[in-house]
Amino acid sequence: MRGLVRDTVLLVVATLILGTAANLVPGRQLSWWGKGFEPPRIGVDFNFLDSGSADAMRTSLPGVVVLDTRSATEFATGHVPGALPISYTELQAELTPERFGRLRSAGAIIIYGAGDETDVEQLVAQELRRRGLAPPYVLIGGFLAWQGSDLAVVGGTP
Amino acid sequence: MSWPRNRWLHRLLGLVLGGIFLYAAHAKVLDPRPLVTIIWNYRILPPGPVNLMAIYMPWLELLVGIALVTGFKRRAAALCSTGLLVAFMVALGINAVRGVNVACGCFSTSAEDVSNAWVLVLRDLPMLLAALVMLLFPPTPRAVVPIQPPTQH
Repeated sequence: MRGLVRDTVLLVVATLILGTAANLVPGRQLSWWGKGFEPPRIGVDFNFLDSGSADAMRTSLPGVVVLDTRSATEFATGHVPGALPISYTELQAELTPERFGRLRSAGAIIIYGAGDETDVEQLVAQELRRRGLAPPYVLIGGFLAWQGSDLAVVGGTP
Repeated sequence: MSWPRNRWLHRLLGLVLGGIFLYAAHAKVLDPRPLVTIIWNYRILPPGPVNLMAIYMPWLELLVGIALVTGFKRRAAALCSTGLLVAFMVALGINAVRGVNVACGCFSTSAEDVSNAWVLVLRDLPMLLAALVMLLFPPTPRAVVPIQPPTQH
C-alpha cells in the first residue's frame, strides 16, 4: 500500500515538473490562472436569430456577412450562400486584416454552426465583440434549422 | 478466482488502456491551448483553475499511458487512470443530466467535436473496469525458488 502511494506521488510530481516545463516553451504557453473567460452574454455579445429572419436579413440588407463555424468537410457538403468558413480554434490566424476589415464594414454578422448546440457560435461572437465589432447574430438551430426551413444551400450533392 | 491476477491479462489491459491514454494525450500535449475552451465549456470549473487543468492534465495522461504500456509503476498508473476516468465520467454525467452535449476533448482538441454525453459516459465504463482490475488485483508474485548451496561430496 505504501509503495502504491509512493509511486502515485512520483507520477503526480513528474506530471507537475513536465507540465510546468512545457508551459514555459514559447508558442504553446497558457497563463497559469485563467481569468479571461466570461460566458458569452445574450444581448451583449450576441443576439439570437431564427432562419427566416436570417434569410430575410441576408437577402435584403447590403453587406451582411455570414460565418460558418462547422468543419471544412461539413462546409464543403453544403452551406448558406455566401457564407465564409471560420474556425473558433484557429480564429486568431483566420482573422486576417482583410477579413477583419470586411467584418468591420459589414452591416450585420450572422454566425451559424451545425445544430442546436450554439456554444461555438456564441464563443466566436464573443471573440468578435472583444475585437470591437457590433454584437453578431447567432442562428438558432444552426444549419439543420436552415435546411429544415428549405432555404437556399450552396455546395454538396443536390 | 485467480484470472484477474493473471500476469498476461494485466499486460494486455495495460497495453490497450495505455495506448488509449497515449492517443488521447498526444494532441493536447503538443498544444494545450484549445483544451482551455473545451474544459471551460463543461461549465463545471470556475475560470481560474481551467488553465491549470489544461496545462497539467495532458501530461498526466501521457505519463499514465507510458506507465501502463511499459508496466513500470503500472498499479500507480492504474490508480491515476481510475481517478481521471471517474472525473471524466462525473463531468460528462453532469452535462448529460443537464441535457448538454459537450465537446468532450477526449481524443481531440476541437471544440466542435460534439458527441452525446451519455454515449461518452458509457464509452468510459470498460476503460474504468480495466483500470480497476489492474488496481485491485495485482498479479501474484512469482514463487521464489531458494538457491540451493552446492552439495559437497
